[in-house]
Amino acid sequence: MKSPMRLAKAEDVRAIGLAPAAEEERKPRLLAKLKELRGSMRSLAVMLDTCVKCGNCVRQCHSYLGTGDPLNAPPARADLMRKLYRRHFTLAGRLLGRITGAEDFDAQTLDAWLTYFYQCNECRRCAVFCPLGVDTAEVTIAGRHLLSELGMVPRFMQQVALNLQKTGNNMGIPKPALLDSVEFLQCEMLEETGLAVKIPVDQAGSEILYIPSSADFFTNVDTIIGVAKMFHALGASWTISSAVLEAANFGLLFNDSAMRAHNRRMRQAAEELGAELVLQGECGHGWRAARLCTEAASGPVRFRLMHVLDYTARNLGRLALRRLSMRVALHDPCNYARAGDLIDEPRRILRACVEELVELAPNREETFCCGGGSGILMDEMMEIRLKLGKKKAEQIQAAGRIDYLAAGCSICKAQLPHVAAHYGMPDLAIGGVMDLVGKAMDMNRSTGGV
Amino acid sequence: MSYVDVNGKQIEVDEDGFICDPDLWNEEIVRCFARLEGVDELTDDHWKVIHYLRGYYRQFGIAPMIRKLCKETGFNLQRIYELFPSGPAKGACKLAGLPKPTGCV
Ligand code: SF4
Ligand code: SF4
Repeated sequence: MKSPMRLAKAEDVRAIGLAPAAEEERKPRLLAKLKELRGSMRSLAVMLDTCVKCGNCVRQCHSYLGTGDPLNAPPARADLMRKLYRRHFTLAGRLLGRITGAEDFDAQTLDAWLTYFYQCNECRRCAVFCPLGVDTAEVTIAGRHLLSELGMVPRFMQQVALNLQKTGNNMGIPKPALLDSVEFLQCEMLEETGLAVKIPVDQAGSEILYIPSSADFFTNVDTIIGVAKMFHALGASWTISSAVLEAANFGLLFNDSAMRAHNRRMRQAAEELGAELVLQGECGHGWRAARLCTEAASGPVRFRLMHVLDYTARNLGRLALRRLSMRVALHDPCNYARAGDLIDEPRRILRACVEELVELAPNREETFCCGGGSGILMDEMMEIRLKLGKKKAEQIQAAGRIDYLAAGCSICKAQLPHVAAHYGMPDLAIGGVMDLVGKAMDMNRSTGGV
Repeated sequence: MSYVDVNGKQIEVDEDGFICDPDLWNEEIVRCFARLEGVDELTDDHWKVIHYLRGYYRQFGIAPMIRKLCKETGFNLQRIYELFPSGPAKGACKLAGLPKPTGCV
C-alpha cells in the first residue's frame, strides 16, 4: 500500500538544508549513510542483528492491531531495513542472499520505508514485550533519518522545520505575536484571579528558562496558564524565550541534524539568559530528545534540565490546591512512560488536583499510543491516524464516564480529539496536566503569592 | 500546485486548499472557498470572524490564539464550529486567506 502522506518538494527540502538525491543516486547514498549509521549507532546494529521472529511483540503494537496491515507488525516493519542491511553488511547475507533474509534495494524499497516507518508512532511498546529487548522504534527512527538524507521528508515535517528555522518554534509564531498573546493571557489571568500573574519573555537573569510547546500559544492556552500560575504561586524567577518557544524537537523524528540544531537553540537561549534550570513543557518526544540527546547534540551544559511535571510534583507541598470535583483519566504519553521516566509525577499531581483519578488499562510502561505519536499529525493521514488511535479509544471507552482526559503532551492533545470524536466520544474534554493544576490552585492561599 | 477558479481567475492553492499568496485574498475568493468548505451562506457572523482573522494576520503575520479569536469576536468555540464546520484553524483561517496553521495542532 502506498502512503497518502505528502512529501516535500525538492526545493522545499533544500530550504531546510537537506540535499535531495537524484533517482540513480539514491541507492548508493542510502547504503553509504546506513554504513555510517551502523558505525555511529551501535544500538541500531544490535536491533538489526537480534530479532529471532518469536512474534511476541506483534499483538502489542497498536499500529498493527489498528490497521491490520501485516507490514505494520514490528518484526516485518524492521525487516524492511533488516533485509537490506543483511544483504550488504553481513557475511552470510552477502554470500547466501535471500535464504538468510537478505534482499537488495529495489524500486519498492523507499515507498515501503516511507509507508511503514511513518505508520510507526515510535512508541517503543514493542520493545517492552520483546524478550530480547529489540526496539523497533530505533530502526524506524533511523529509517526516517536515512530517508531525509535522500531528501524524502514529509511535507508536514518540512513546514515545521522551516518554521523552526525562521522563528524557533513549530507554529512559526514571531516575537510580536508572542508578546501580543502573552499580554492577552495576562489579562485573562488578571480577570480570573485578580492577580498580576506574569508570563515573562526573554527576561535575562531568570533562574528558570521554561520551554513551552508553541501549541500552548494557539490551542492549548490552559497549559501555559497553569504553568504561569504555578510559578507565580511559588514566587519563581522564570522566563520563556522567544528564540526557543518550542519543547518539541521534530528533528528526532526525521533528521538528526535538525534535532541537534534545535537542541542547540535551547542551550544557546539558556546560556544567553543565564538560566540555571531549563524546564521542558508538556511535549512527549521533545522531552525524550532533551533528556536523551542534549549531551550528544550540545555537549556538556551548565544548566540542569528537568520536566515541568517533575518540577511541579516536587513542589506540590507549596501549592494551595483544592481538589476539583472531577473524574479524570490519565493518558500516559509513550515518551513519558517509555523514554522519559515520568510515570508517577503526573499521578501525584492529579491526585492533588482532582477528586477521582481513573487509570486506563493497560497503563504506565504498557500504555498505548494516542496514534499521533512521532508527528503523525498530517491531515492527509487522518484515516490512518484514526486506525492508529483505535486501541487508545478502546481504553478510554472502557474507563466509563470521565469528565476529562489528561494528556500531558501536545501531540496527544492534537490527536486525541479526533480519536474521541471518531469513536463515539465527541464531547470528551481533553487537555494537559498543568491545565488542571491551574484550575485547582487557590491563588490567594499559595505560598509566595503576591 | 492546484488552482481554484474564482470567477474566471485562477487562484493558486496548496494541497490543503489554502491560498498560496495571502496578498491575493479578496472577498470573491472567500465566497468561492466558502462553497468548497460547505459554508452555504456567508452571514455577518462569518464576516466578523474573517475580518478579525484578516486584521490580526496583517498585523502579526500569523493566526491569533483560538481563545483570543473567541473573546474578540464574542463567539464561543462551538459557535465558531457552527460557522466554519472544519473549525477555526482549518476552516476560518482558510476562508480568511491565512496560511494553514501547522505544528502540534
Ligand atoms: S514502536 Fe510502537 S508503533 Fe512502532 S512498531 Fe513498536 S509498537 Fe508498533
Ligand atoms: S519480540 Fe523481539 S525477537 Fe520477537 S519478533 Fe518481536 S522484535 Fe523480534
